[in-house]
This record gives sequence, C-alpha cells and structure tokens, in this order.
Amino acid sequence: MSIRDTIMANVTTALTGTSVSISSELPWESGGTPLYEKNMKKFYLSAASKNITQNQITLDNNDVYQTETTLTGFIAVDAKNEPSDISTIISGVLNSKNSVTDQFILECDMTTELLDDRNVYTFNYRFVTIN
Amino acid sequence: MAYIAVNSSDSFVTLKINNSGTFASATLAMADTANVYTVPALQEITVNATPGIFRWKQLDTLSENALTTSSTNSVECTIVLDDSTFFEQQGDSYGIFDTVTGKYLTYFRLYWAGDGAGASDRYIEGSAYLSALAPTVSPDSPVWTSPITLEVVGDFTSGQD
Repeated sequence: MSIRDTIMANVTTALTGTSVSISSELPWESGGTPLYEKNMKKFYLSAASKNITQNQITLDNNDVYQTETTLTGFIAVDAKNEPSDISTIISGVLNSKNSVTDQFILECDMTTELLDDRNVYTFNYRFVTIN
Repeated sequence: MAYIAVNSSDSFVTLKINNSGTFASATLAMADTANVYTVPALQEITVNATPGIFRWKQLDTLSENALTTSSTNSVECTIVLDDSTFFEQQGDSYGIFDTVTGKYLTYFRLYWAGDGAGASDRYIEGSAYLSALAPTVSPDSPVWTSPITLEVVGDFTSGQD
C-alpha cells in the first residue's frame, strides 16, 4: 500500500463521526481555485513527492541513500464558524502519520491561513526511510 | 606535479587487511590473496606518521634544540558497517569486530588512489592492531558507522604495484 493510501485510510478512520469528510480526489484546481477551497470541510491529500539523497557518503561508492516522501493535506473551514470538533480533526490528521511504517522519520506539521472567509489548514507530511 | 584525486571508480581509496596468521612482512601477507579482504564503505581516512621529538634548551643558544625519537604511526578511518566484513570471517581472516576483540595482529595495505591492473598504484603497508572501534547509530543517522584506528606496529612501508 502506498504512503498516500495508508494515510487516506487512517484519516478516514480518524475522522469518522466528525464534521469533516474525506475526498479521495487530488486537490486539483478548477477555474483557478483549488478544490479544498471550494469544498469546505473536506480533507484533500496531494500526491506524494519523492527525493532520494545521500545519507552516508563513502569513498568507494558504497553510499547509503535515503528516500524522503512528502505529501500535503488540506482542510478549509468557515472562518467565522469553525466546526466545534476542529481540534479533534486536527489531532486525527496529525496523528495519521503514525500509520506509515518502515520510516525512521515521521513528521507532520500544520499551518493555517485565512483566505477570504475560509480558514485553510495545511498539513505537511514528511517521511524518510533508508533505501 | 600531480595531485592525487580519488573521485573515480578506478581511484577509490582502498584498504586491504589480512589477519589470518603470522607473516614475515605485509607484502607477503598481501600476497596471500585468499585471506585478504577489502574494508568497504570507507568514509574518511587519515594517515598519521608522527616522529617523536625531544627538545632541550641550552644557555648558549637563543633557540631550542631538537632530535627525533621513535615515530607513532597509525591510520584512522571511519566506516559504514558492512554486515559481512564486520561480523564474518573472510577466508581465514577474522571479521573486523573479532579482530578488535581478539586483538589479532593485522597486516594492511592502503592504496592511495585505487588498486588497478597496472603497476603504478601507490600504497603504504605495515602491520597493526585494530582499535578505537566505537559503532554508533542514532534516530537522525540510522545506519551503523564506526571509527577505527590501525595502531601501526613499527614502520610504514611504501611501494607501487
């Protein structure tokens, strides 16, 4: 199962019964506006980006490589009337990083941004494993 | 003048060791190819050849005098641990861990810029005891690495092959 699928499955479980639903679509744009801005109270997760770098450099090309995988999740809510369970939703999304296995770094940080009348929560996942 | 670059596959620094028995010289130990193995994944290597110096002052001179005493020779490396060469016997030679814990005399040859097919690859060789092994791993660097020092017994000998 891919990292994206694992997170999606875990977030789906974590957000069951909350005021936010899950979209399996990528957060593509329609008319210049990202879907998560149009469809409030829906969790969107981007496709994974990967980056392979040297973890240990050696003199004989026996280098050790690591793969860094990053994904970004989005939830937009009404800035004036945020869902009463928003803190549960945030912690559910943040903790979904723990469902990904075989990684030695599992990180997820969150930022918020006001866009017009919406508050957009952006979740940045970062996973690193040794190849 | 030519500098010594080690950035191509035919010029990688190469450290070979043999501790399968007692040899009259490192050259003979390296000729015993079945028991010679290459230490893989060197990260850095430092050759120390330091003559001891005895200094004294005299009342009839403005500067100190000096003369040399015995040299202290060693080779310090950092390696990424390789499961095979670290733990397992290579021919009749002990793996690195057993070599250190068993305090076996080890013959070594260090090629400065690779061990190719020609006869012009420069090396230094000698016998040594392996010490200063300190494997370490951490969450931020989750691959075992270790320093290791070859405490040289006697002289370095240089040559080409």
